[in-house]
Amino acid sequence: MARTYSLNDDSVVVVIGSGAGGGTVSNELAQRGVDVVCLEAGNRLTLADVVNDAAVMHQKMTWHDKRLGAPVWLCKTVGGTTMRWSGVTPRFRDFEFRARSTYGALDGTNLIDWPLTLDEILPYYDKAEAKMGVSGTHGTPPSFETSNYKVMKAGAKRIGYREITSTRTAINSVARDGRPACQQIGFCWAGCAIGAKWSTLYTEVPKAEETGHFELRTGAMAIKVTHDADGKARSVIYADADGVLHEQKARAICVAGNVVETTRLLHNSQSNLFPDGLGNSSGQLGRNYMRHVMNLTLAVMPGPVNFHRGTRQSGLILDEQRHDDSRGFAGGYVIETVADQPYNIAAFVGGWGRETAGFLDDYSNIAGCWITGEDPPEADNRITFHDTERDAYGLPVPVLHYREHANSTAMKQHGVRQCESIYESLGARRVLSRADAGGGCHNMGVARMSERPEDGVTNRWGRLHDVPNLFVSDGSVFTSSAAPNPTLTIVALAIRQAEHIADAMARREL
Amino acid sequence: MDQQQLTRRRFIVSVIALSAAAGSTLRPGLFSVSQAWAESASPLDDPVHKAMVRMARLLFPHDALSDDVYAEILDQALSDTASSNENAANLEAAAAALDRQSGDSWQALDEAAQIEAMRSIEAEPYFLAIQNQVRVGIYNGAAFWKHVGYPGPSKGFGGYLHRGAGDIDWLPEDK
Repeated sequence: MARTYSLNDDSVVVVIGSGAGGGTVSNELAQRGVDVVCLEAGNRLTLADVVNDAAVMHQKMTWHDKRLGAPVWLCKTVGGTTMRWSGVTPRFRDFEFRARSTYGALDGTNLIDWPLTLDEILPYYDKAEAKMGVSGTHGTPPSFETSNYKVMKAGAKRIGYREITSTRTAINSVARDGRPACQQIGFCWAGCAIGAKWSTLYTEVPKAEETGHFELRTGAMAIKVTHDADGKARSVIYADADGVLHEQKARAICVAGNVVETTRLLHNSQSNLFPDGLGNSSGQLGRNYMRHVMNLTLAVMPGPVNFHRGTRQSGLILDEQRHDDSRGFAGGYVIETVADQPYNIAAFVGGWGRETAGFLDDYSNIAGCWITGEDPPEADNRITFHDTERDAYGLPVPVLHYREHANSTAMKQHGVRQCESIYESLGARRVLSRADAGGGCHNMGVARMSERPEDGVTNRWGRLHDVPNLFVSDGSVFTSSAAPNPTLTIVALAIRQAEHIADAMARREL
Repeated sequence: MDQQQLTRRRFIVSVIALSAAAGSTLRPGLFSVSQAWAESASPLDDPVHKAMVRMARLLFPHDALSDDVYAEILDQALSDTASSNENAANLEAAAAALDRQSGDSWQALDEAAQIEAMRSIEAEPYFLAIQNQVRVGIYNGAAFWKHVGYPGPSKGFGGYLHRGAGDIDWLPEDK
């Protein structure tokens, strides 16, 4: 049963955030008997709150607090961004952990290798997939093949692709783990209405509560991490829903606020001992912010597709997830189906007049896909904080600086050609591509893992180089972005980190 | 315009603005209040109203949709909300600018010339605001959805798993 802990209880691990990273690390710790207090800035919805209406869900779930610069699209709700994600869960490949060794220096980037290898993370990919019910893995069947997927598959075969799959999606292809199979309702980008898609809201969080080792505090916005004279983290100061400040003591702390809030919390925790922000002796905190290369292609096909029938992302192509200099860029990308409702298609097409309206007249014949690809780290792609502007919590407003690297531009152009060819090979009447269509939904870097403390903020366990009992548990620790959607890797790293923390606590090293 | 009209107009446009800001969908059902508006007089002069219905059609021209569909979107924008005055002002500004561009009556021009006049003002804030409202109104509207065979949210009828999610009959056979 759910527990409550005293603010003075310094035996607990405080986890900040309840999404893919925070929700998972919380549950994994609680399952091992570690007491956890999870601070979540947002509210706790139920499945009954999920409606097939993106505007309504946007109001309910989005992080609305002010941010400047490059837009991001994150959630402030229990479950975090696992309430608004595609469910696509491909694994990184070996070369992607060795980005610097494989690609070379890449002008203008800050590329390094991960301090861990694919072999080390493989067992945790297995655990993450089993936990999330990833289709086509660990005995679960592949996902249902929607028409949109069948079109992409047929075109992909025609242009010579081989790794085309309707697996690798964390949406139940059969009923399992107390949740139903996908009914192909669609609209699930804004929350799965029946809980078939994995979200920590109705998996990790209630499972953690059942252990009797977990307390979730909602409406709890972490403001600052304090430390003792030795530089060990001591407590988290947070504001409750009424704006009243509390201080929760902690034995260890895991920060998983998604990159913007993770950076802000560590930055805001500066002190005499850590004048540039907690764990920032390297100067790398907030830097190496990565977003993924994205492009969306829509095509008017010769016959009906009705891509609104079913999940937005129902299959993928993995052939381009490789490093091959002859393509004119380093790293790879993944191609995935995409679908949307008429208004969003009109906004995507843009403009006005016959051309725009004509595209929409063919709504039932539209097929679509997008790419997500590796975006290299750059020192000046970073999150800083406004000198004077403060938000309702009194915190400095984040400013996101992002400029696309030439490698990303070249990859995007290649992706556009490939995606358009898929549909043209089947006689598409019209194709239309738009770059950066999903900008700001995949956020990585800012507290990257590094072998050497001067190159990054965290070590191979996501533990701060500078603060031994402070961990980062979200995509902020990604050393490089790799091509795949980040959630599976965030979950795998969180499981691995929880094991590390629990073992270290058992050995009294933490 | 009396206070009651103003209040009514404020409500609806704030809903439109909200949805536009979200870059996302609106439930057409939210607009049922527009029936009340339809019974009262438009704050626009008749020629201005007619010109703006024409402009709305040229923004997103769907031959399958009647003028009533476009007129209703404008009427909704003119009903009830904090920004209804602003919407009326935008529409009046657009109508005046189009007439100015045309030397006399924009409505009297042929379609190509009408579109050319619209292109000359397409970067104006009032034009962009109207364009956004018509886009939301058309593509989140029941008439367009019916036209393209899109039934809207499917949770209520249980999704498409057994209702055609994988149905497609024109793809070439796998080689």
